[in-house]
Amino acid sequence: METYEATILTIVTMSSPLIFAVIGETISERVGIVNLSMEGTLLITALAGFAATIVTNSPYIGIICAGLLGGGIALFIVLINFQLQINQIAIGFILTILLWKLSSYLGQSYVRIPGPYLDIITVPYLSDIPFIGPIIFNSNILTISSIFLIPLSWYFLFKTQLGINLRSVGENPASADARGINVMKTRLIYAVLGGILIGIGGAAFSLHVKYGWSEGHTINYGWIALAIVIFGGWNPIRGSIGVYGFGALQVLALKLQSVTIGFSQILPLIPFPLMILTLVLIQSANKNSGLGIPKIIRILILGNQPQALGITYKKNG
Amino acid sequence: MYQNIVKNIITILISILVVTIVLFILNSSPLDIYKALFDGAFGNIDKLSRTMLITSIMALTGLALVITFSTGLWNIGIEGQVLFGAIGATFIARSFMGDLTIAPFITVLSGAAFGGFLGFLSAILKTKFNVHEIFGGLGLDFLAAGLIVYLVIGPWKREGIASTGGTDLFPEASWMPHIGNSNFPIFPLLIMFIVFILLAFLLTKTSLGLKLIATGSNKNATDKFKINSIHYIAYAFIIAGAVGGMAGSIQATGIYHKLVPNISGGYGFLGILIALIAGRNLYSVLLISFVFASIMVGGVQLQLRLGMDSSFPYIIESVFVISWLITRASDIDSKITKYIFLKDK
Repeated sequence: METYEATILTIVTMSSPLIFAVIGETISERVGIVNLSMEGTLLITALAGFAATIVTNSPYIGIICAGLLGGGIALFIVLINFQLQINQIAIGFILTILLWKLSSYLGQSYVRIPGPYLDIITVPYLSDIPFIGPIIFNSNILTISSIFLIPLSWYFLFKTQLGINLRSVGENPASADARGINVMKTRLIYAVLGGILIGIGGAAFSLHVKYGWSEGHTINYGWIALAIVIFGGWNPIRGSIGVYGFGALQVLALKLQSVTIGFSQILPLIPFPLMILTLVLIQSANKNSGLGIPKIIRILILGNQPQALGITYKKNG
Repeated sequence: MYQNIVKNIITILISILVVTIVLFILNSSPLDIYKALFDGAFGNIDKLSRTMLITSIMALTGLALVITFSTGLWNIGIEGQVLFGAIGATFIARSFMGDLTIAPFITVLSGAAFGGFLGFLSAILKTKFNVHEIFGGLGLDFLAAGLIVYLVIGPWKREGIASTGGTDLFPEASWMPHIGNSNFPIFPLLIMFIVFILLAFLLTKTSLGLKLIATGSNKNATDKFKINSIHYIAYAFIIAGAVGGMAGSIQATGIYHKLVPNISGGYGFLGILIALIAGRNLYSVLLISFVFASIMVGGVQLQLRLGMDSSFPYIIESVFVISWLITRASDIDSKITKYIFLKDK
């Protein structure tokens, strides 16, 4: 295999957990729910996915368990937010600490033990694409579905009626409600769907990219994913570009490890200044309606923060 | 007043019950854990000193949250402000001033200045660029973390070797001093009480405090009364950052005596948990910090004696906070309180 092919495969493979996590969080935030527990959710679902795989000897059951747990955590956040009007940020933040520490405790007996791997599957037709086909579409189910997820989620969010409803709930719940959309139900469904994807992202770490379990197995990846969601302007395609860009930097860091000291320590921090920069750009562009900024740059850099993001919706009367 | 105390006690009891159940489910004996925690936190004078030291640090981070809460905003940037405070303290300790007798005093001020600066950045992002304070704060946390790693392996690296193990030890003159042979953290506690009194005075007795709270209660109304809410948000973040920065300088000069990458010890984020229970009540911050610090310090004993994981203190604290919030929000506590008082009559 030529080296650039190997590099592409490494980047696409390494990025697959973050693709799931970023798209899951994007969907959740688009409907107005900030799942701030992502850092903790990734850790506990990575553990759950691996543990279920060990117990059942099937990585597929592991993926399902991790997804269900991720969805369950999102369900908890949404229900607490609806029923008790507890701030999403507060509950997400506490869950981050709780799930992170729970994963350290519950994972003790799973540290560095071997287990079954996911099978390699070949996607017909697509694997015949020159250059990238044979390497990317001849991989395991997580890598392959992470690639399909990008256009699918974009199409769903921006080109279908359901996606429009979803976004309108995140932009202006009151008017969505007035148009007959059930705000609570919509938020519940898509926040849970987002949580399921984040959970699968956790499993993609422990069953695939960083096989196995160790304490703090996915540490900081949740925060990084949160930053990339914003850097991606709440758009699955741009978010994924961010993820692959970050993956490329990771590969670069691995190769430079012997040359420079400390780059691998600084690397995980790179998404955060970019996140702040994106937010600043979005807001200043919104101030002057994006005038004077070429359209192509607007598409690449700007984006709209869902206006009702993180805001508890309470129906009047 | 009397009813309120009963209500708080009921909430505490319910939360302790939930924690106990969770510990039980986690396959451990809650009573053994509580006993080990108690011994670990108060068993001898050294442990008690340690508990009080951590109390002072957690109280400062908790207070730093309460200030911005009073303007209705989150200070997730607290973790970064603690880190910046530690950087500020290190800057002084490594300079010619590190050998002065008054070095510990200057390090605290410098820590406050550095922390306040990062708080100011949070405020600018929030007010000038309208960046949500959660994302802005989180971003600044990680920037501060990056800066520390850079400093420790770069400009401030140890003689000859660059490692993430930390800088050289500070000159002893700049260490947080003790009185006599005891380890009792008299100066950190003093700092905590001074900050507490100043903040209590600020929030209740000054017009600045009143305007901060007014900004938090209704931003639109304050704008109509020609109170420039943007300024007050900035003041709140600067004060909060300075308070958090002091916590960082105590970590640097009172505990590690050098700069290490994870110098915050996570106390910034734990300060958020404290403030979630305390709300805007400054007294509660001190009380909860003391309880949480006891759990953290006692947790060491948990590992030594029962061989339990170091994650238990965090699990106990976060479960406690979740059940506190749920009990409060669901009004279970008020209902029980009413029931008790009706029965009396």
